Amino acid sequence: MPDTTLPQTALVSDPHAQLAAQLKVQRQRRERLRNAAAYAVLILIALIMLYPFYWTLVTSLEPTGNIYEAKILPKALSLRNYAEVFSGTTVPFWRLFLNSVIICILGVTFTTTLATLAAYPLARMRFPGRDLVFYSILILMVLPNEAGLIVNYITTIKLGLLAQTSPLADAARQYLAVVLPGAASIVGLFLLRQAYLGIPQELIEAARIDGARELTIWRRIMLPLATPTIAAFAILEFVAYWNSFLWARVMLPDKNMLPLSAGLLELSGTFSTNSRAVMAGAVITIIPILIVFLMGQKYFMKGLEGAVKG
Amino acid sequence: MTTKGRRVSRREQHRIGGTGASVTVRNTLIAYAFMLPFLILLVVYHTWPVIFGSYLAFTKYNIISPPQWVGLDNFRELFADEQFWSGLRNSLKYVLVVPVIQVISILVALLVNRPLRGIGFFRTAYYVPVVTSFAVVGLIWSWLYKQGGAVNSILMGLGLMRGDHSLLDNPATALFAVMFVTLWKGIGYYMVLYLAGLQGISRELEEAATIDGATRSQVFWNITLPGLRPTILVCSLLSTISAIKVFEELYVMTPNGYPAGSTYSALMYSFSKAFGGDFNFGLAAAASMVVAVVSILFGLINFRLTKGGRSDA
Repeated sequence: MPDTTLPQTALVSDPHAQLAAQLKVQRQRRERLRNAAAYAVLILIALIMLYPFYWTLVTSLEPTGNIYEAKILPKALSLRNYAEVFSGTTVPFWRLFLNSVIICILGVTFTTTLATLAAYPLARMRFPGRDLVFYSILILMVLPNEAGLIVNYITTIKLGLLAQTSPLADAARQYLAVVLPGAASIVGLFLLRQAYLGIPQELIEAARIDGARELTIWRRIMLPLATPTIAAFAILEFVAYWNSFLWARVMLPDKNMLPLSAGLLELSGTFSTNSRAVMAGAVITIIPILIVFLMGQKYFMKGLEGAVKG
Repeated sequence: MTTKGRRVSRREQHRIGGTGASVTVRNTLIAYAFMLPFLILLVVYHTWPVIFGSYLAFTKYNIISPPQWVGLDNFRELFADEQFWSGLRNSLKYVLVVPVIQVISILVALLVNRPLRGIGFFRTAYYVPVVTSFAVVGLIWSWLYKQGGAVNSILMGLGLMRGDHSLLDNPATALFAVMFVTLWKGIGYYMVLYLAGLQGISRELEEAATIDGATRSQVFWNITLPGLRPTILVCSLLSTISAIKVFEELYVMTPNGYPAGSTYSALMYSFSKAFGGDFNFGLAAAASMVVAVVSILFGLINFRLTKGGRSDA
């Protein structure tokens, strides 16, 4: 079996070559075995990681039957549970979806704008107090902030963000109340600062000599060249805002203002008779995040790696 | 990857930045204008909670009337409350998840670091739980743990369980059942961090050792693992601190410490004192402060155990 791949002459004439060839075949066989074992483990872990999601999808598609049992394929297919999520509750599901979309758009816009702006002077300008500002922010990152939820709740109320005047203004303020506490991202500031530091100083000097203003340099040079990092950060923030539930749940008195994740918990609390509908809701909650994650997967992983190496 | 190398390069970067525009009043104003919106929100939502939270811990406060200084009363009340102690014990028990999650994540990172065909698919698949919210993940797992559910049938099929009772309904197992979900959700996250760490270890060093006759396990223990030490420090710090602060997964899967307070955590205590109806923000802040101090202590222990994350042996 091993010698079929080798030239006959080499085998006959040179005993060393023969030995080398045998060793090579042995090594290849061992490598192949090892790879097979690796794939077996990889697949097993993938099953553990993905089956819970698959099970939820399958069960949400079944109209009836034994709800919680382990299954591979649905017994019957129907979209009834999905219709139920949208019609069968007091909380309008499309509204929750819309809330999540608005919160994500606001949140991602705020965090990326603020971080891309603030990182610029810290990376590329010289001014008194720069190191002080930089190290103060560093210290904030290390300081434990367990009272955040409590104090931010008080701050939100004191700022009047939960005041009631007109429906439209109330909604706008409540969205702000959800978004603002996370809008100044220290991690984002560090990521962006790091990205700016990688941009050649000559480019900036040349622009300054040509009389460009700092805002122009920021917009025309820094932003385009830092786009990969900005994209990674924007995806990270999208995931964070889409998934946030606790803060909104604690703070928002109006259930119609909740984002999807928080609304889903509300649903499972009030809707205990129909778990399948809640499962359908869970599937609807996951899908947008999966789409964004898969689209930006490359940036996303890079962004995370960058965050550690910082 | 060494801390020393990083420090030098950061100083270098400062120097490069420092040759930028000259220091004028105008430029200084422009610089602060760039940072102003960020700094305002930072102070309101990050600095202020640290300051005001520390102050609140020594007051009675319910939002309606102004805070009243009560000295150490909140802490006395806290330490006399058996419920708080039980929460703190559970939070400390939760740290058990840290070594397990770190060892598995390192093994998985080594596995997906191999140049195999289709490895990108596996890396992505393992990351899906990470990007899913605890609200969703917690709900899914509480269904899987149900009586007659998937987890039970697998455990009974393997002969690991007798009698079909939900692990979440049993005070002896509930906390561990939630811990497993934390583990399941966290592996992908730490895997990516370790993958980044592995890529920072020089290939030449490993190959040179192999040529010199080192076995695979010798290479792992003498080169790969020490090279990963900075990453291990970061990861174990992150996971220890989040274990002590465990809250969201318990909040979704075992509300109010169900069953029988067996999943009550220290932050859950703080949360319920603030938002559970009696708006006792002072006591809640005091409980949070204790959690903060405990996480700092555990952070220091982590530093000792990983020798400050130095990659040299």
